[in-house]
Amino acid sequence: MSLLSVSGLSKRFGGVVANRNVSFDVAPGELVGIIGPNGAGKSTLFEIITGFYHPDEGEVRLDGARLTGLSPDVVCRRGVARTFQKLRPFQALTVLDNVMVGALTRTKDVAHARERARELVRKVGLADKVDAHARTLSTGQRKRLELARALATEPRVLLLDEVTGGVDQRTIPELVRLVRDLHAGGLTLLVIEHNMRVITAVAQRILALHLGEVIADGAPDVVARDRRVVEAYLGQAYLP
Amino acid sequence: MSGLALAAVFFAGAGLAPLVVRDAFFLDSLVLILIWGTCAAAWNVAGGYAGQISLGHSAFFGLGAYAAALLTTRWALSPWLGLAVGALVATAIGLVIGYLSNRLRGPYFVLATIAFSQVLLIVGSRWRAVTAGSEGIPVPFRPGFWTLGIADKRVWVWIVLGLAVLAYLVGLYLERARRGYQLMAVREDEDAALSLGVPARRLKVAAICVSAAFTAACGALWAQYVGFVDPFYVFSVDLSVRFALATIIGGLGTALGPFLGAALVTTVETYLRAQFGGIGAGLVGIYLIIYGCALIVMVRWLPQGLVGWIAERVRRRAVPGAAS
Repeated sequence: MSLLSVSGLSKRFGGVVANRNVSFDVAPGELVGIIGPNGAGKSTLFEIITGFYHPDEGEVRLDGARLTGLSPDVVCRRGVARTFQKLRPFQALTVLDNVMVGALTRTKDVAHARERARELVRKVGLADKVDAHARTLSTGQRKRLELARALATEPRVLLLDEVTGGVDQRTIPELVRLVRDLHAGGLTLLVIEHNMRVITAVAQRILALHLGEVIADGAPDVVARDRRVVEAYLGQAYLP
Repeated sequence: MSGLALAAVFFAGAGLAPLVVRDAFFLDSLVLILIWGTCAAAWNVAGGYAGQISLGHSAFFGLGAYAAALLTTRWALSPWLGLAVGALVATAIGLVIGYLSNRLRGPYFVLATIAFSQVLLIVGSRWRAVTAGSEGIPVPFRPGFWTLGIADKRVWVWIVLGLAVLAYLVGLYLERARRGYQLMAVREDEDAALSLGVPARRLKVAAICVSAAFTAACGALWAQYVGFVDPFYVFSVDLSVRFALATIIGGLGTALGPFLGAALVTTVETYLRAQFGGIGAGLVGIYLIIYGCALIVMVRWLPQGLVGWIAERVRRRAVPGAAS
């Protein structure tokens, strides 16, 4: 029984094929990593799942109900939340207010939303920054903020676009621990990640994309040794 | 809390002043400050909270002014009815504009709003069969409250104050309510807001409609107060800029800011008119220069507006030694 089901997705931008016949299923509680070189179509896939792009072909279903064709805000209310590769905090708002916007999608009560937001800010380790304006945060802190904000919408599936990208080395372990905790708490996650060490450490299963197509789908150690994956990442010269 | 206290002082002061001061010039300035303040507060709903920067809000002001003037002159109906009709028409048109311009962002939205007000200017000044064309419409003075033929400027202060307080309460609501948070999210980053489940498109349209309705109501009252509707004034870009400028000077996205901004802009304008009254047509040019300079000064040194500046003073006084 799958929670998120992607079938036959294709997306073209003029002559460029961003996604070609992409299909996969995600079971409840699974953490699936998505890898692929730049331009492989990973972010486009996220944009389609969350309703920001409409696919040329194929569809996305959540728990059997069709998501394709819905607008992004409705997709979120159905239970799919995301973070952005290029971070997009609400700069002029405080950390707490940022997270409250997410919480207010699930409750009409502002005081209740504030409590929920406070909990989540603590959970992602930003308690000492709760009243700081988002624009004053470092990249690592912004990543946490986006995570808290997305979690506040109480997603059934969370899509993370680059957890460790642009973050300094020392903060990576904390972010990884955070993602692991969320997974351990029963959340279903789809994670785009460039850092192979990170993704093989957290994911149960990895999906490799190349030129818009799925070229491998399976356990991390199997995918990492897959002939086509190595070729896509490093070039033919590195093949044994 | 200090914001509420400041607002209480401002509105109570405006309401009580007519009991003490009888000077017609002062009362006239007060009425205009309250009208422009309400227009700015209305503009703030779309421009300040939702980030839909419009430079075509005179369109709604003009619709309100024309609705009131035409209903009273052509059908001898009450200008109060004109106010209601103007607000309804403006809301409907706000709905249309909101939907049409929904995908336009930043400068493209601004340009669309300017274009819209200019289309109405052409309609107002050329469609002679309905609007009396470029000559404008003199609004007859028929004594009575129902006909808004009120000679006593004190009564005008209180009528306009009622609308002003209502507009302030809308801002206050947005500062605290769920919809206010969501609108601010849309202003900061529409895609991020969408990704968090905020119905951005619908909220933007709603904000424009509320903003349009209040602006039109101001236009209707203004037409009755001044007694003459000139299409080149009520649909002018100057007027739209005035609403935006008062809000930016007072404080974007704050409930009281637009009123403080309007008080400052209107006072400066009245003072300059007294000083340079003889120049006549040249005055218009002076205005643009002063508006431009004020805008540069505010954006450069006080980006949070007057309200932000006052809040900063209060905070420093509350925490001695915090001044840097």
